[in-house]
Amino acid sequence: MKTPTRRLLIVLLLSWSLGPLLWQLYTSFSTNEALITPFANIDHRWTLNHYKDVLTGNPPFWRYLINSLIVGAGSTILTLCIATPAAYAITRSRGTITKVVQTMLIVAALFPYVLLFLALLEVARSLHLGNHLLALTIPYAALSQPLAILLLSAAFRDLPIDLEDAARLEGLGLWSRLRWVLIPLIAPATASTAILVFLFAWNEYPIALTWLSDSSLLTLPVAMARIAGSSIYSVPYGAYAAATVLGSIPLIALVLIFQKSIVSGLTSGAVKG
Amino acid sequence: MSLKLNNLGRRIDDRWILRHLDLEIQNGECLALVGASGCGKSTTLRIIAGLDQADEGSISIDGIDVTSTAAVDRKVGMVFQSYALFPHLSVAANLELGLKVRGVAPSERQQRVRQILQLVQLEERASQKPAQLSGGQRQRVALARALLRDPMVYLLDEPMSNLDAQLREELRPELRRLVLRDQKPVVYVTHDQHEAMAIADRIAVLRDGQIEQVANPIELYKHPASLYVAEFIGRPQINVLPPEQGVIKAIRPEALKLQAGGIACELLHREWLGASQIWQLKSHLGPLRMLVGSDQTVPESIQVSWAPEQEHRFNARSGKRLAA
Repeated sequence: MKTPTRRLLIVLLLSWSLGPLLWQLYTSFSTNEALITPFANIDHRWTLNHYKDVLTGNPPFWRYLINSLIVGAGSTILTLCIATPAAYAITRSRGTITKVVQTMLIVAALFPYVLLFLALLEVARSLHLGNHLLALTIPYAALSQPLAILLLSAAFRDLPIDLEDAARLEGLGLWSRLRWVLIPLIAPATASTAILVFLFAWNEYPIALTWLSDSSLLTLPVAMARIAGSSIYSVPYGAYAAATVLGSIPLIALVLIFQKSIVSGLTSGAVKG
Repeated sequence: MSLKLNNLGRRIDDRWILRHLDLEIQNGECLALVGASGCGKSTTLRIIAGLDQADEGSISIDGIDVTSTAAVDRKVGMVFQSYALFPHLSVAANLELGLKVRGVAPSERQQRVRQILQLVQLEERASQKPAQLSGGQRQRVALARALLRDPMVYLLDEPMSNLDAQLREELRPELRRLVLRDQKPVVYVTHDQHEAMAIADRIAVLRDGQIEQVANPIELYKHPASLYVAEFIGRPQINVLPPEQGVIKAIRPEALKLQAGGIACELLHREWLGASQIWQLKSHLGPLRMLVGSDQTVPESIQVSWAPEQEHRFNARSGKRLAA
């Protein structure tokens, strides 16, 4: 492909994915007048009021951010703690049972979880898990298991078997092998899995909506829905955009932090000369 | 004090990929396991290491039965064909990991790693990652790791097959010296008969999971126990004549001599080796390979023969050697 064509394509792709984001950014800093009459000549076009409103609301917006961070981090940790050993076991064991388990995992990964949500609500009610922030990590981690196990077991399978054999001959028991050799080597896959799980927990709406009712415990999506629906007469575009921007910042930061470990090629040079 | 394999067998489903394997390797002895791919040589090595389980027979090291000992506890030093260095760790950390897990104190660990790096001449590479090393250097790190294990047995699985020919030749004596330094049994797996001849004290030729012959390199070359061994060992390959009354005769290419009144041949191709040359000949007995000095000119008519004592004779059906 010629360079100018490629450049054009890149510009189009970037505007496709970044356009809505920039629009939200623009909206969040615009006064209500500017939003309603975009081409009129207005004195006060820019404002920080939407942010001020959102951050000084009751409860303040950062409360929801922290709630979502707690739920997201908790779900991610819980998911990885269960999925990593499971993925290792699936990769190393053979036989029909393993094949059945793998097939079931794929089916479970494809299953629309919303269909489970009424049943989950019953479970939450009978176990008194309602209005506990960390209780949300239980369904989130459970729902993330299939995908996480599939991704991590693919990573384990990609590791040259010689590496684990070498570790075994060096006298490394199962735990040492995982701790010093295998888990460090699948770090890129773990990072991408972690991001996917975190994103799911960050965005999840129906379960969070039904399990939490205490307004100081809400997660971001629920809180934002409340902002958007706070008045039946008008949609507070500015405040909503400000909330969106604030809600995206942690995600962007997360990807930037993990970017380094997502880069592939960590295992290059392990095998062959 | 030795490594002893007793009637070792390994089965995959109903097929035996290794059967009736008996071998004894003395301390300070290097035994090469050779054979075509799939003959069971790597399987044998993995069974000795404990990475694979035997379905039959037993293994003992220094008289202690280790057949059911887990690989983690077996104390073998293995060099993998792929080297299997941990890619995320530096050279020094690669070497130190085993010591750390086995509970060696930090100060002693560092000292031993330093010593071993000196021995394999890689001190200045200590902090580099395996990916930054050349093939030969990686191989030396892998060897150093095996040496640090203080093993009862050394197992080398095609340790040089990823190196170029010149480097292989250079490293061979070095490898032999290092691995025999602490006088332990060494099992060296290779598909390269030349490498086996060059490095081993004894060679075991495996075929379809069974031992065809075990002998020192000269014996193997001069008195192959079967046609298979005769064809496997020695390059250029031995000439095999068509069977006659249930007997197959085979003659080494260097045993063929130009002689008037011999078998009339036609020269198809000439290959220069440097000090010698190979003539690819066509005769009524089929194609023949002849090794001659590089000064030898091609005569008008080529007639070859050989001394009767240079003939190897094998049973045409079993392939076994017939008494002279």
